[in-house]
Amino acid sequence: MTNFELALWSFPVLLLLVFLRAPIALAMIAVGVAGTHLVTGTPMMMLNQLKTLTYGTFSNYSFSIIPLFLLMGQFAALSGMSASLFRAAESFLGHRKGGVAMSAVGACAGFGAICGSSLATAATMGQVALPELRRCGYPDSLSTGALAAGGTLGILIPPSVILVIYAILAEQNIAKLFVAALVPGILAAIGYMIAISAWMRLRPNAASVSARAPWPERLRALGSTWPVIAIFAAVVGGIYTGIFTPTEAAAVGVAGTGLAALASGEMNWPRLRGAVLSMAGSTAMIFLIILGAGIYNNFLSLTQLPQTTAAWVGGQGFSPWLVLTVVLLMYLLFGCLMDSLSMVLLTVPIIFPVMAELDFGMDYDDFGLWFGILVLIVVEVGLITPPVGLNLFVINSMAGGTPISETYRGALPFVITDVIRVVLLASFPAITLWLVHVAG
Amino acid sequence: MYPVLNRCAETLAKALALAGGILLMGLTALTCLSIIGRVFVPLDIGIGPVRGIYDMTEIAMAAAIFAFLPWAQLRETHARVDLFQWALPRKADQALDLAFNAAMAFAAAAGGWQLYLGLQDKLRYGETTLIAQIPVWQGYAAAVAGASGFSLVALFCVLRAARRLAGFED
Repeated sequence: MTNFELALWSFPVLLLLVFLRAPIALAMIAVGVAGTHLVTGTPMMMLNQLKTLTYGTFSNYSFSIIPLFLLMGQFAALSGMSASLFRAAESFLGHRKGGVAMSAVGACAGFGAICGSSLATAATMGQVALPELRRCGYPDSLSTGALAAGGTLGILIPPSVILVIYAILAEQNIAKLFVAALVPGILAAIGYMIAISAWMRLRPNAASVSARAPWPERLRALGSTWPVIAIFAAVVGGIYTGIFTPTEAAAVGVAGTGLAALASGEMNWPRLRGAVLSMAGSTAMIFLIILGAGIYNNFLSLTQLPQTTAAWVGGQGFSPWLVLTVVLLMYLLFGCLMDSLSMVLLTVPIIFPVMAELDFGMDYDDFGLWFGILVLIVVEVGLITPPVGLNLFVINSMAGGTPISETYRGALPFVITDVIRVVLLASFPAITLWLVHVAG
Repeated sequence: MYPVLNRCAETLAKALALAGGILLMGLTALTCLSIIGRVFVPLDIGIGPVRGIYDMTEIAMAAAIFAFLPWAQLRETHARVDLFQWALPRKADQALDLAFNAAMAFAAAAGGWQLYLGLQDKLRYGETTLIAQIPVWQGYAAAVAGASGFSLVALFCVLRAARRLAGFED
């Protein structure tokens, strides 16, 4: 077997292990180590690498932003800001048809601005908004679907853990990626609100609307969200203007959300311990996957697979837009089956160089930003599609008694807006890039 | 016997994870101090950023992440795909789980041992970090502590998986 064939065969083996419920990180480590052994013919190379590889990966300065963002999200959940965001959004939108559900989406967008994770956003906002949606008589399918979709705004709106990882893998500028994610993130929130509005029109139901809030009350409610605005400005603004390195900005974010949690009186020892342990579990999970993906991708580059594939695709004269469509469809499909982080870690080192070879009529930097945002959106769709959409499960378990099929049905309109948004952003790269250029 | 081991694994994993968390929060505070210090640089009154904060970040992160691994192993927070769980009989699923736990324990032990060899290399050559001149072996030593805990807890998880396969309660 040639090395190239070996690399090709490693995919089905990896997928088999993953579908047999091996931890994804373990599967990548096992296939990567075995493959390297077969290519080099000796275990010594791998063993020698391991002396410094694990420590080197875990001590990588660029990655240090990840545990800090996770801790920031945990503290944000304890800060009571989810409630003030929801109240503020409700004072603006509550009197509209479907307004309470729209407020939940709007509040998710606000929370996404200080939280880099989808699950944390969905869980935190679900706690605040689900009881209110039920009280107003919204059908459970719509409530759970809207909150699960709203949760993805945690990742889509910067800061975002997945974007950080993409930036490192594809060697892109984190600050510019965060700016590029802003407009698509706001479009996502608007798309979700349109979906709610369409639902309310097409399938009338008994959901009540609140009284129109007068402007002074709206401004007061908006004012009470100032910590969110301040922390977002410090973190994302700080990175963008170059005042802070990304890691410094994340540390400032941890301190800010931590202080807000202390001030809200929600923080006590058991909760702090819970927040740290939850962050520890996710951090270790992510870094084991980073390690596994590193080992597996090292093996692939030993076999020259990425280079060979890139050269082959480049030489075939395929239409770049056709290749992009296939790649995005593949991400959509696999996103329904796999965890988004593992997918990004596993595929970006192979796919990015291939895609960068193709001519989309823009320079390399712009392409890196635009492609990153597209990948971010398509992998996040997997969080709200059956069968393994994690956000759906999180929200469904909070809405006791709602069958999961109701939640699946409720998420469908939001998935449709996601797909429309991907097509829109892929067809018009300027939507993503103009803010970067203006702010440039 | 098993309840005792269970409690030991839980205590060890939790203690390491919390220690890592304290380290991370300490680093957060230090980073904020360093930023505040940097503001004073133009005043030239002898206050500046923390020297070598970059090196300290790298070392503290590595130590903290190694310390988080046992907790992830014990609480099974690893990402996995549950798509085809229904297709397998319960016993087969549990047998596979035992195999994967054994593989993880092996990987943890082998990785931990190589890390220990790496520590000895760093001790021998006296390598230091670039800016603050902190000996690199100190970072490795902290990492070995977490990696040892990871191996022990992973070993316990093999036992736990075997008991589940044999039909015992956790």
